[in-house]
Order: sequence, then structure tokens, then C-alpha cells
Amino acid sequence: MSKPVYDRTHHAKMATGVGDPQCFSGKAGDAKFKVGDRVRVRDLPDIFYTRTMTYARGLEGTVVELVYESPPAENEAWDNTEVSEWFYSVVFSQHDIWPAYSVGYPNDTLETEFSERWLEAV
Amino acid sequence: MSDAVDDETEFYGDRKIDSKPIPLLDAIKEKGRVWEDLADEYGVTNPDPPWKITLETTCDLLAGDSCVKDYDEVDQDTTLLPSLDRRWEEDALSDGRYKDVPFPERQLLSLAHSMINRGLLDEAELEKHMAAVEKRLNSG
Amino acid sequence: MSDHDHDHKPAPVVDEVSDFEILEVAVRELAIEKGLFTMDDHRTWTEYIHTLGPTPAARLVAKAWLDPEYKKLCIEDGVTASREVDIDWVTSPPTQFGTPSDYCNLRVLADTPTLKHVVVCTLCSCYPRPILGQSPEWYRTPNYRRRLVRWPRQVLSEFGLQVPEDVEVRVADSNQKTRYIVMPNRPEGTDGWTEDQLTEIVTRDCLIGVAVPKPGVTSNVKLPVMKAANPVPH
Repeated sequence: MSKPVYDRTHHAKMATGVGDPQCFSGKAGDAKFKVGDRVRVRDLPDIFYTRTMTYARGLEGTVVELVYESPPAENEAWDNTEVSEWFYSVVFSQHDIWPAYSVGYPNDTLETEFSERWLEAV
Repeated sequence: MSDAVDDETEFYGDRKIDSKPIPLLDAIKEKGRVWEDLADEYGVTNPDPPWKITLETTCDLLAGDSCVKDYDEVDQDTTLLPSLDRRWEEDALSDGRYKDVPFPERQLLSLAHSMINRGLLDEAELEKHMAAVEKRLNSG
Repeated sequence: MSDHDHDHKPAPVVDEVSDFEILEVAVRELAIEKGLFTMDDHRTWTEYIHTLGPTPAARLVAKAWLDPEYKKLCIEDGVTASREVDIDWVTSPPTQFGTPSDYCNLRVLADTPTLKHVVVCTLCSCYPRPILGQSPEWYRTPNYRRRLVRWPRQVLSEFGLQVPEDVEVRVADSNQKTRYIVMPNRPEGTDGWTEDQLTEIVTRDCLIGVAVPKPGVTSNVKLPVMKAANPVPH
């Protein structure tokens, strides 16, 4: 049986001198959400790999920035970089994340990123 | 190097070190899991536990001026645990009571031992605070 | 070069709290409680023995404090702003191409009088290495990563930083390709200071967000050396 040929440096070649995620810039098409939109984090099944934290699933938050375009982590983990998506930075109220968050700090927040597939409009 | 005359006292050079057992520290010595075992079990390659750097800071801050001055010039009133005293005690305890404990765990046990001997810490109070810390660090 | 298969494989961590770890924390906290030293002294000293001097990120912050246009650029495009402090995210070591762990999307999180940022990576220990160097040990511990998102004010107070109740604490969880640094507020008592003076007080911990800059507190003071008790003649 012959060994499959696989170029383990192809991602390096793609990103060298350009940067990652810059090398995926312009590949995601139109963004579905804009700054200020209210979004909910979907609770998709985890297959092998994800970077969407358990604590964020099902939460509603506000888009504060369209950060970059990139293949989602779930695909990139399989070395599938064919399809890119917009990534969004989303801010949540700490009180929405942790039911027992200290009383008296109603303004405290948490900010983190999601690829478009993980978000739905509220 | 050290000359254990009984279970309570050790001589180190011309220094007498009070090494009477401290049950709380002996219990940690017996049941505490050391970094080299934990690192091995979890596949971590870092040779030092993450708390080593904060332990060193605690030693430095207790040493005060003795870090940067000659031993004879150190103002004992401003230095809670002179670094040379601590090192002597650590060496003696590492040769005796905490002989089988790897570094830096034995440095930590020796520091706590020296602090309790000097009245900087109280054993019962330390035990109580450890229970609170354990609860906090493991809180879900 | 890149081992892309292992791109996102989390580094192993020791996922249990040992009695020794608890003893270290307990000894330190009791010493602070008894006034043997202060929490702030402890944090400052730990930071200083762990770093060698101002990082390029410190200069970026100092420049931004002095130049509102540059501050705007930092907030809008951290990667471009970094070039002014000689950091090119795309070509800088260690990986030279921004991956696997040094993705090239820097965001500078600017504090305001009513907003305090602090950075963590709950999934692994992502850190803006090209501009801040190696991460401190504590940044990689499950203790910090797990607790900061949930009890940020408690964890910050363990670093000696009490955030006023009317200030919003915003935790930035570095879970994808963005790396963050915090741009703290310029402290009182620094009027007329030069860029070099300002750079010195923006310590690593300020850039992670667990401390705030103070006049007189720098990370690049001279390292004290303990004289040998029994020097070897030569």
C-alpha cells in the first residue's frame, strides 16, 4: 500500500508573508450580521473539534466588530480551508452567562468570537 | 552534612535547626501529589510547577533587605525571614524531615516550617486557610 | 515549520489542584493578611523577575497616550499600528507566518474611565507573543483560565486590583484567531512625561489587564543580586 501524499506545509505556504487570517480576506462574501445586531449563539453538535465554548451556547449578545474572514475552526481542524466565513466579536452580559454572577455588577461583560455558522439573528 | 541528634533538633554547621514535626506539613508530605508525578500523568513537559515563581516571590519578600545586603548588614527588624537563615533551614530540613520530597515541593514545606517556627504563621490557622483555598480553587 | 494537523490541539495541562499548590496559595495569602507584605508588592515582584523590560506593546500604549491619531489606529488596526513599534505580526518570530499559535489579528482593547478589559484564553493559552513575549506561568494555569471568565473581580483582586463597582469589567476570551492586548488608561501624575517614561510603567501585567499602570512602578528596574556568603576565590 502506498502512503498518501500530503503536503504538510501547504498552510504555511499560503500564509507566509501574508498572515493568517489575512490570507482568507475577501473570501467570505457578504456578512450576514453588522455591528449592533443582536445575535444568539447556536448549540450545534460538536464533531471532533470546535472552539465555541460551552458557556456561550444559547446566549444572546451584541455584535461589536466584524473581525476577519477565515474557515471556521471546525473545518480547519480537518485541513478543510475551502469555505471561509465572517467572524464576529460578540459581547455578552455576565449576568446572562452565569446565573450566580455577583449581585451588584450589572454592567460586567464578556467578549469573544464566533464564526457566522454559530450565530443566528434574535 | 547535617547531624540529626533526635527527631526535634538538627545541627547544620554550627546552627541548630528546630525540626520538630509539624503534623499539617507531614500530612501534605505524605498525601500531596508532587509536580513531577502530576506532569508525568498529564503529559506536561514544563519542569516546574506554575506556583514556583510565586513561591520564590514570597521567599524574596520575606527576605527583604537580606536579598541584596551582606548578612552582617541586614537590619533584622525589617527582615522577617533572612534569606540565608531560610536557606540554612531549608538545607537542614531537606536533609532530614523532608528528605524524600522533590524540589521545589520541599522548598515550600521548608518555608512553611520556618514560618511556623518563627511564629509568622500558625499551624491551625494555615490548615483552616488551606481548606478555604481548596474550596475556592475547586469551586464549580 | 507548521504542523497543521496539530494546529489546535490543546497543550496538556495538569487538571487537578495539588495540596502543594494549595499550600503555596495559603502561605502567601496569610502572609498578606498579616501584613508581612502586600498583594501589590507580590504581584509587582513576580512580574519583574519574570520579564526583562518594557515590551514593544508598552511602547505602543505610550505612543497612543501621546497621540490621539495613533490611538485611533491602534483600535482600528492593531497589526498596522504594531509596525510603528517594530513588530510585524506577519513576519515576526517564532513561526514567521502567523501560525499555528501566533495568528496575525491583534486587537487593542482600550480601557476608559468606565470600562476595564482583561484577557484570557479559556480553551488553551493563546497569547499575543509577537508583541508581548512568552506568557507568564499563571496565565496558562486552569486556575486562571477557568476562573477569570466567571469570577473576574475575585481573580483581579487576587492580583491586588480592585475595580470600582461603577466600572464595567469586560473579559476578552481569546478563543479564535484574534490576540488581544489591553490599553490601560493613562494614570494621574504623568503630565509632561516622555514616551520613554510612559513606556516604562506599562508593564506586562497591565497589558494583560490584571494590573493598572502607576507612576514609579516599572518592570525594568535593576535586578538585585544576592552576594555569595562564601565566595569562591579566583
